[in-house]
Amino acid sequence: MRVIEIIRGTTHDGPGVRTTLFLKGCPLRCVWCQNPEGMNVEPEVWWESHKCIRCLACLDACPSDALSESAAGLRQDRQTCRRCGACVEACPSRAMAFNSQDWPIDALLKEALKDQDYYKAFGGGVTISGGEPLGQYRSVAELLRRLQETGVHTALDTCGLAPQAALAAVLPHTDHVLFDIKLLESGLHQAHTGRPNDAILANLDRIVDHIRNVNRAMKLWIRTPLIPGVTATPENILAISRFIHEDLPDVVERWELCAFNSACNSKYEKMGLSWPCADTPLMRQTEVDAIMKTALSTGMVDDKVLVSGLIAEGLPETLSTYPCSE
Amino acid sequence: MGHIMLNDTGIEDAVSRNVIPAAVGVNAPPKLSQSPRIQELARRSRELAISGKRRLGSEDMPLGDHACWIHIGPFPELDQMPSKVNGYEPTGESWGRDYAFLVDHFPIDIHPDERIVGEIHWEMHMVRQYVWPAEAQEVGKMAHALGASGVSTGHTCPDLAIGLSQGWGGILERIKRSRAKYIRLDNQPKASYLHGLQMICESVIRFIQHHAEKARELAQGETDPWQKETYERVAECCAHIATGAPRTYYEGVQWIHFAVMMDRVVGHGNGYGRLDLYLIDLYRKSKAVGELSDEEAREYLSEMFLKLRGHFFSMGGRDAKLKDATNEVSFVVLEAYDLIGDYNNLGVMWHPDIDPEFYDYACDVLARHGESIPVLVNYDLMYEAQLRSGIPEEDAWKVAYSGCQWFCIPGKEFCDQDVNSINLLAPMQRAIAAAIEQDIGDFECFYALFEEELTRTARALREWKNTQYDLLDRLWPEMFTSMNSHGPIERGIDMVGARGVDYQYTSVNILGIPNVADAFHAIRQLVFEEGRYTLTDVKAATQANWQDNEPMRQRFLNQDKFGNDLDDVDALLVRITDSLAEILGSMVNQRGQEFRASLFHFQGHLNPSAVGATPDGRLADEYLAHGINPQVGRNNTGLLATANSIAKIDQRKFQGGTMQVELQPRFFDGKDDVWTYVRNFSETFFRKGGIQINLNIMDLETLRDAMDHPEIPEYQNIIVRVTGYASRFICLSRDYQQEFVTRINYEGF
Repeated sequence: MRVIEIIRGTTHDGPGVRTTLFLKGCPLRCVWCQNPEGMNVEPEVWWESHKCIRCLACLDACPSDALSESAAGLRQDRQTCRRCGACVEACPSRAMAFNSQDWPIDALLKEALKDQDYYKAFGGGVTISGGEPLGQYRSVAELLRRLQETGVHTALDTCGLAPQAALAAVLPHTDHVLFDIKLLESGLHQAHTGRPNDAILANLDRIVDHIRNVNRAMKLWIRTPLIPGVTATPENILAISRFIHEDLPDVVERWELCAFNSACNSKYEKMGLSWPCADTPLMRQTEVDAIMKTALSTGMVDDKVLVSGLIAEGLPETLSTYPCSE
Repeated sequence: MGHIMLNDTGIEDAVSRNVIPAAVGVNAPPKLSQSPRIQELARRSRELAISGKRRLGSEDMPLGDHACWIHIGPFPELDQMPSKVNGYEPTGESWGRDYAFLVDHFPIDIHPDERIVGEIHWEMHMVRQYVWPAEAQEVGKMAHALGASGVSTGHTCPDLAIGLSQGWGGILERIKRSRAKYIRLDNQPKASYLHGLQMICESVIRFIQHHAEKARELAQGETDPWQKETYERVAECCAHIATGAPRTYYEGVQWIHFAVMMDRVVGHGNGYGRLDLYLIDLYRKSKAVGELSDEEAREYLSEMFLKLRGHFFSMGGRDAKLKDATNEVSFVVLEAYDLIGDYNNLGVMWHPDIDPEFYDYACDVLARHGESIPVLVNYDLMYEAQLRSGIPEEDAWKVAYSGCQWFCIPGKEFCDQDVNSINLLAPMQRAIAAAIEQDIGDFECFYALFEEELTRTARALREWKNTQYDLLDRLWPEMFTSMNSHGPIERGIDMVGARGVDYQYTSVNILGIPNVADAFHAIRQLVFEEGRYTLTDVKAATQANWQDNEPMRQRFLNQDKFGNDLDDVDALLVRITDSLAEILGSMVNQRGQEFRASLFHFQGHLNPSAVGATPDGRLADEYLAHGINPQVGRNNTGLLATANSIAKIDQRKFQGGTMQVELQPRFFDGKDDVWTYVRNFSETFFRKGGIQINLNIMDLETLRDAMDHPEIPEYQNIIVRVTGYASRFICLSRDYQQEFVTRINYEGF
């Protein structure tokens, strides 16, 4: 399984304290993506400037002449790079590295079970996320099956865009689903993520159906990233709230509004990509309060809705512009 | 910069407000409110601490603000000390005479608002020499050259239940009886030692009686009815407990206060035992007759905490039948801390059968205050460690968390806890040199050389300790502590003398274990498996502090490190600890008892220049790993991974091994029932084999700012648990502060 990151001891990806496995590859291209290294399923080499000691062993090792030195540091020509890994081998300080690792399922299972005792104590488990984990659905299904067999609670964090077969394979081994609803209006969805949302909503239907008719114990949390000017608009929030409150009240346990932060900008730099959201500021408490008001205005119960993530403190009440929405 | 000279307004601000910044502890309202009386006493205590009157250590190297004694200037009668006037003698009798003289010249301090009274201003080492003869010092130098050191001084634990049940009068009787016996049997050395004990005991009785007299005097001149009555109660209490056993809870607390304080006239890192077991009978008695309110019960202890400082008491644990020993006083002790916050070293001894309400409260107190109080320790592991050493069940259950990371059978041990040290980097470096000389080609042979060198260092330590033990009961007996110990009075042997008390193992702190494990793992990989470098390369590069060798240093630095739950390197660390246990455990001291390693170091990691650069990729000026915690910057897989790594060690073989955690308060933002995180984490860690958690919940950025702006009132009352003890952050030396703020600040688990 191709993994970009493993985070242990997290409380952000489902109930209790969990290990989250982030897989590589995603069909969407959300402008605000927090894990740009998760977009392509192919591994890339990336360079971490603060680890680099400028020994230039990588340059010497590269058979394709894809590396050059500049005042700003190492430059990679991603067209020329064949991803052979010679530079990674040559680098003494791991400044040059692949941004993913291939794990055999056995090894990944062993890794995921390291905190088994803590899952039990905290009512946690293992979450599979990414990128889009359903892109590797066969392995994911196998991993989740074996985790459940060992008594570990499993959660799937998905954008919902995947073939039907993927859901069918994975759902039977899933205790908890974290499902993204970013934008309800399909045109807007396409504009900001690269794809319309009809297939996504159809998959949501299948999950809801699964809960109602196959596994009443399965939990469903909806997650909406709060992107200023894009998803965090009164129209979008109201629409999603109405949708959850009117159509899904019996199956959705929680609706999480995830405040945006641009801390992952360094990942974009390492990928050699520019990021429109790099300067997007944190939301202010007043903005968050307004969103919550809208979210609850449909009659949704307030302990079902929560805002997570970083909020700005003590900033003056000025208008901000949101480059993300341009 | 040592400590801070504040102008009067600065102190007043900090002292009066006791504001702690939001960046310490979890944001939650206090559960108990302070009466005006306690507020005033707490204010006075803060003032003493911040203005430097409680400073431990020197002006240049302050260790913190937890001295029990209060600075008022040098001892005025220094030149009249008996050992100066009559000549110094290395005997217990001479020591006792000096102690009695010192105490007889203590001023009697009783302040308004106080119900618990008594202060000290000097310690024995200020007035009596403690110097090893030249030949002994030579042995010490040889040990030091091989990486071992340690001078015996205290670090044990009396059994205060002795005095609580007999009173000083009862103890004095026994001393006199024993002395008379040895006079009759013409055993002059024992009789003389007991004379020393007698003088000490009588001076303490006088000291307490003087408090009764002074309180009576103050009462007579007092017009305020409440204050008058309070002085009278103090007088009555002190009059009784000067010789009698305490009859009430109030007398019990005052008795314990004097017992600990007079012990700290010898000023030496002792613990004092299980406070809940000490006081439970008196508590129930006083409660039954309706003479003790809940508020009073905790306030007396709060007052004692404010005055004593540096005191290690523990609660919880199991009883003689191995049932949960938690009682009502266990809660009261925590409440007493909860009420005032401030400085403390309380420990809660968890086990799977502990009263869940008590442990929940302990975790709640810890989370709200965020200053690692109480320390959380694993009772069953301490108990098993004692059993493994050969201590019988009937004593082993009494084990009390007593010090930075160590534990004790109160009143029955003198084990040199925390004072001895082996710098593990020294035998490592010698092993590298020897391996080069002998042209060693595989890791196993290299490791065997390391064990040989470690054995050499351990033997040098044994030499040095035995040299001390031969002289210790004459040079620096622990006579005050011996009075509340089992053995010394009847045997006529000080607790530091062979067979003075039953358990006299020798504890050794080990410095640099994670560094050695990381270094060996890197050497195994890069030298023996890949053949990329030779040991000669390694020796040369580290001796030159990696100069012009950055790529090589990076390779060593980027090998797997301890603390990330990686089996290979973690197993190597466990193997090293097993070697320590085996080698030390196969050596006995002059008392015929084994050496035992403690996986902790008080402050040696702050002195890296002694060691130089190391093959784990470390530069010469970087601090070493603190105890068994990963080298800073090397654990980047999260707190649970580090906890798992540490839990792989078999702690039954050792005398403690603290996991130090500095956790960001914002981890708890938006979370309810915060204490459940502390509880669930600690219980799981303990079940997996961990033995101790020091949990500071603070934002290290705040402390960085506090280093540069100690005058800001918000910073002046931050207490941190440093390594084994607590201190006001601004009262620490710059070095200590620097090390503290560069620790990993876990964002979550």
